[in-house]
Amino acid sequence: MNRAMSTESSFAAALAALPLLGPHRLHKLLIRHSPSEAWAVIRGDHRPHASIEALLGREFLGHKLRERATDEHLHTIHERCITSDIRATFIGDGEYPAILAADIVPPAVLFWCGDLDALNQRRVGIIGTRAATAAGRYMASNLGHEVAERGISVVSGLARGIDAWAHRGAMSPSLRTKPQSSAIGRPVAVVASGLDVVYPRENAELWRDVQTHGVVLSESPPGTAPEAFRFPLRNRILAALCEVLVVVESRAVGGSMITVEEAVKRDVTVMAVPGSPRTSSSAGTNLLLQQGCAPVVEVDDILVALGLDHRRCFPNTFDSRRRPQVDDQRILDSFGDCPRGIEPVTLDQLMVRTGVDLLTLALSLGRLEAEGWVVNNGGWWEAVGQLRA
Amino acid sequence: MRSATLLGVQGRPLDVEVHVGVGLPGFTIVGQPDEACRESRDRVRAALLSSGLSWPNRRITVNLASSGERKGGAGLDLAIAVGLLVAQEIIAPDRCIEFAFLAELGLDGSLRPVPGVVPLVGALADRDVVVAPQCVYEARAVARRNVQAVATLGELVSCLRGDSDWPEQQSPMSEGKVGIDNSTDEVDMSDVRGQPAARRALEIAAAGAHHLLFIGPPGAGKSMLARRLPSILPPLDADDALMVTMIHSAANLAIPSGGLIRNPPFRSPHHSASMIAMVGGGTAAMRPGEISLASYGVLFLDELGEFAPSVLDALRQPLEEGLVRLSRAKSSVTLPAKFLLVSATNPCPCGEGAPGVCVCDVRMRQRYLRRFSGPLLDRFDLRVAVDRPRVDDLLADEHGETSSCIASRVVRARRVAHDRSGCLNSMLTADLLDEHASLTRSATQLVRSQLERGRLTGRGYHRIRRVARTIADLQGDIGEVDEQHIAAALALRIGVQPLLLGDQS
Repeated sequence: MNRAMSTESSFAAALAALPLLGPHRLHKLLIRHSPSEAWAVIRGDHRPHASIEALLGREFLGHKLRERATDEHLHTIHERCITSDIRATFIGDGEYPAILAADIVPPAVLFWCGDLDALNQRRVGIIGTRAATAAGRYMASNLGHEVAERGISVVSGLARGIDAWAHRGAMSPSLRTKPQSSAIGRPVAVVASGLDVVYPRENAELWRDVQTHGVVLSESPPGTAPEAFRFPLRNRILAALCEVLVVVESRAVGGSMITVEEAVKRDVTVMAVPGSPRTSSSAGTNLLLQQGCAPVVEVDDILVALGLDHRRCFPNTFDSRRRPQVDDQRILDSFGDCPRGIEPVTLDQLMVRTGVDLLTLALSLGRLEAEGWVVNNGGWWEAVGQLRA
Repeated sequence: MRSATLLGVQGRPLDVEVHVGVGLPGFTIVGQPDEACRESRDRVRAALLSSGLSWPNRRITVNLASSGERKGGAGLDLAIAVGLLVAQEIIAPDRCIEFAFLAELGLDGSLRPVPGVVPLVGALADRDVVVAPQCVYEARAVARRNVQAVATLGELVSCLRGDSDWPEQQSPMSEGKVGIDNSTDEVDMSDVRGQPAARRALEIAAAGAHHLLFIGPPGAGKSMLARRLPSILPPLDADDALMVTMIHSAANLAIPSGGLIRNPPFRSPHHSASMIAMVGGGTAAMRPGEISLASYGVLFLDELGEFAPSVLDALRQPLEEGLVRLSRAKSSVTLPAKFLLVSATNPCPCGEGAPGVCVCDVRMRQRYLRRFSGPLLDRFDLRVAVDRPRVDDLLADEHGETSSCIASRVVRARRVAHDRSGCLNSMLTADLLDEHASLTRSATQLVRSQLERGRLTGRGYHRIRRVARTIADLQGDIGEVDEQHIAAALALRIGVQPLLLGDQS
């Protein structure tokens, strides 16, 4: 399905891959010139627009750029895009997503893999920390699943933890078997590295799936390593693509909070999932709630925020897990009363709280685990909701 | 003259022969003495002269027979001195035939203690032994015949000549090294508040000699818990006590004034310990390492992850066999290493570990865990996550049981295990397991479900059964192993390898 890249987008890709020509300078260049013209400007074959003369006029920069902007470079980048099936578009191009064109800091050149039409659905961002609790992962997965089920596309960052689980939920095989499977939400991912540099490696399969069912976007040219400074830049694109941004779990500082800031700048509704005040992975979300964010406890909350009709949409509240026995229920209750389970606890803490003997407790935990009420994560027990995806 | 030197934890008897002949005045020691041994020339000379005895101005040759093995230490001083006196006919040879001599000499003619008196005396079973007064209790703990303690060379000479009687024994406690014996009694399990599961794990470890690993953040009380393990172990029986005393004596560690170490030793080497410090060897005398010193007791490795990986892996074979074979170019020895390993580690570099609290990157966590090799982790039958006790949990719980209360249960469970199979539960082989730890049907189902879900490996299966057996013994259920015992064993053996990977469900 290699569709030959248009000449202009080849030039755009080559420009984006030039060193010293960061997102900011590239943007300045491409709003004044078409990519082929801009290429000629860099090469010194074309007079630059008056507003960017100063930018390129600096001896060192202009010289360096001219040195690198060879036909060979153009060719290499082109080949690279073709081999990895990466497409490029640039600001002003017909294919360039309208939602980004209207953004306050639009990426000058955008690379993508998959189908850009995925951006035409309703879009909800589901993001969060990489070091998530089991409860957080279950929540992300369930939200992703239920949102996709209603034809809403899940936008996320393909990072470890919450991001990955949101997409896993949104692409769970059970969705594909449904009769109206054409109407399910398609996944949208925005990544920081080049589209042929899968990071983190363990998400490679997930990354491929997103490409197949939806689209993976990046501002970085092929071959770009996941450098730290690219993640905040990625977050701004992610925020720009969302209609509603849901933070499932986040620390008080971190990538998710940067995305939230970017979303606030763009008047995107930010919502957060409440968590235990004692787990630091919920510190950020709780802070957001404190500052007046709307809480998300179930998918309805998101539908309301999107202005969708949620009255006829029966939330999938049926819990197929077998109800625990009375004794087991008592132990499950001791985990906490928050709907999605409170903080992780050790065996010690459970024994103290319930006053139950080790042997009885171990049996109960075994039963609860088999039925999916609790999970053990490296010695810490967590109560979780049912994984729907 | 009879004396002995030390190799590993065994004494090695040897004969000291002295020849005084014609020739240029001189003094040579042959038979592969080491530096300390060769210097005894000067000590012996000074001691003789300051005791008012004569020094022969003739050619003196001392042979340490058999001459093929290397000898070390200053413990042969006294034997050489007595040999010289016999050669000068100051003492009659037949007066010495029943004696062996074990002491270093001071320049003033006083007798000084030597390291490893217990195994040395043990090796000289057919003689009366003469030692310095400071070591008399150690020596007497193992001696089959008389032990004589004299303070100076002059005194010894007059006793051997029959001019005076052997000195009366002083009452114990008057002198000698300060014992370590009762020091472990200061800590008690009742000091631990809350943490019932961790306490239970200690009890199980003590009852079945199962190796135990605590995983938890700093301040969770891992070390505090581990230090209380010796307090719930039964006291050593006579054979074990003798062995422990020999090992400690060979390493020149303090021996209690009672002579025998009766409480299980507790060793906690710092994580900078070298391989030789850990397994033994090093000097020509093959000093026992920490694993031997912890024999019949507890070896506690705090901050397991900070130990050198090679040191940790060196523990694997002793853990299996209960002994360590040290081979060097000149000698090889087998040292006992039958210890109960208790370790504590943080779950990750930041130390927090708990999901949602830990801030470590997945890769950092993996790198941290890679330091423990799989086979080593596999040898921990009990792996327990401990967290800092929360304030309300602390307040909710009264003081725990006392050590003596737990210890009585441990003793009972150990006796049950011994009567059944003749060994502790952790030593049960697969055949014995089938015989003595058969599972009820529901227990079999539980184990099968774990095996099918890939939670349990074949080796893990046996370990779980051993632990479950111990749990049942502690409960007093001496019949088949039931579902609840297996469940508890599973709950006390958490997975370490895929610990909290961000994406593991």
